[in-house]
Amino acid sequence: MNRIQHPENLSDYVDGSLAPAASRAVEAHLATCAACRSEVESLRRLHLATAALPREIAPARDLWPAIARQLHAAHAAPASPSITSFPAAAFRWLVPLAVAAAIALLCTIAARRPIPARPGDLDAWSVATMTGTPRIAARAIRDSAPFRVGQWLETDSRSTAKVAVASIGEVRVEPNSRVRLVGTAAHEHRIELARGTVDALIWAPPRLFFVDTPSATAIDLGCAYTLAVDDHGDGELHVTAGYVALEHGDRESIIPSGLKCLTRRGAGPGTPFAADAPLALRAALEAFDFGPAAGRGKALDALLAHARANDTVTLWHLLARTDGPQRAAAFDTLARHSAPPEGVTRTGILAGDAAMRHLWAAALGLGTFE
Amino acid sequence: MTHVARVAAPLDFVVTDSVDDDSELVRRAQQRDPRAFESLYHANLRRVYAVCLRMTANVSQAEELAQRAFLTAWEKLPLFRGESAFSSWLHRVAVNTVLAHLRAEQRRTSRIFGTDDPARFETPPAAPPAGIRLDLDAAIAALPTQARAVFVLHDVEGWRHEEIATALGVATGTTKAQLHRARKLLQEALR
Repeated sequence: MNRIQHPENLSDYVDGSLAPAASRAVEAHLATCAACRSEVESLRRLHLATAALPREIAPARDLWPAIARQLHAAHAAPASPSITSFPAAAFRWLVPLAVAAAIALLCTIAARRPIPARPGDLDAWSVATMTGTPRIAARAIRDSAPFRVGQWLETDSRSTAKVAVASIGEVRVEPNSRVRLVGTAAHEHRIELARGTVDALIWAPPRLFFVDTPSATAIDLGCAYTLAVDDHGDGELHVTAGYVALEHGDRESIIPSGLKCLTRRGAGPGTPFAADAPLALRAALEAFDFGPAAGRGKALDALLAHARANDTVTLWHLLARTDGPQRAAAFDTLARHSAPPEGVTRTGILAGDAAMRHLWAAALGLGTFE
Repeated sequence: MTHVARVAAPLDFVVTDSVDDDSELVRRAQQRDPRAFESLYHANLRRVYAVCLRMTANVSQAEELAQRAFLTAWEKLPLFRGESAFSSWLHRVAVNTVLAHLRAEQRRTSRIFGTDDPARFETPPAAPPAGIRLDLDAAIAALPTQARAVFVLHDVEGWRHEEIATALGVATGTTKAQLHRARKLLQEALR
């Protein structure tokens, strides 16, 4: 017998897609034809090489910012109804630095401004409809309505509302959110975010505006941030100007502008991280903060290995969340990226000296501690 | 659900209960939670980008098509019923996105050259695009467009001829011939 007339059959044979009779015929032919045997061997080598190809290839750049911009643009354009419910809050981090700087300047100026004592401040806030039909105490708001202590403000998938926080700031309530006014007084204004997303812009002095969530309380230290809470009560905070503190029990995180922080029901706030932190660092941090205790050591190793000069705030928080050799490793990594200031020693930090930790925080631009 | 897997990363301590985690993320993304969708993006990007890059052999086109695939996935996500794994569904969306692009390219080339066989006018890339380092990947990148698409779908992605033929709008005889052609060219390139 000569070589098979239709060489495609050899491809099919190697693929195992020939009918049994045709397959037997090819095998009979191969027994007598060295050229076809060689061809089959070559095809099998190609199959093996193909099977060994990596199934994943990382692009040279992160595509998410471009995707997020387009989703945001589509959200803004009513011509694309299928994605109109995409919350704009998710893209707040795309605000150019110049805008963020302008907001920061506004906050700085406003923080120096005395808070006007307006009649009615302590009675109710004002809510204005931005899109759709938000509801207060289950009643639809047409244009605006008072928001009283104890009432719930709710938005559905198409509605957003703007809340005037007494005279100290504004909170935009994004779609699918549920917010309660807990209390409003000269020394404290407090809301509860049960689920959804709020964008807060506060121009009061620090520690006047509080947002309770199922997993932590956000304390405004001045002055712009986005806080989102999912149906489980877990949250994510992204600070775009100034500082925010997250507290739960005796656990506290300080989040400066440009950083994010996750919160988990029952666990409280995690460790803040730069919004542009590498995925590997974020995964390690999440495992360290919220994963099983047995895996924390390994997570910390990965975390420290991925830490960059831009992650000093993250590393500083670890000083109070580790002990023994883990704290020593955190100290050494932080010291590599930012030398400890005068008055801060390795021995002191390893011994848990809070004053030294606070000195270092001030040197990192995290503010001063009382 | 474990929170760790919300951020995909090649860390061996990450708990890999990905089916459950995907389901939860998909459910949240279907309810228009962009953070959940961003997690799905991170978990699937490299797989999606790989098929876009292999089928186009062009970095900028692959990036653009991967973006387009995720945008399409977001738009169509409410229609996803969970009958297959999310990653498989997304992968199918990506392949369809690339095929639509290739068909548009073919129509454009056909108008320009007045032929139904644009492969005749194709110039193989001079060098493999960035991200492709293996000899075989470089040889795949140098294949004519349609032969490359068929080879990637059949031999790399494991699609059947019937599926490829339906997606390309051609007969299975055509996809078999293209696959044969691709394999011959690769065998020669790798000798």
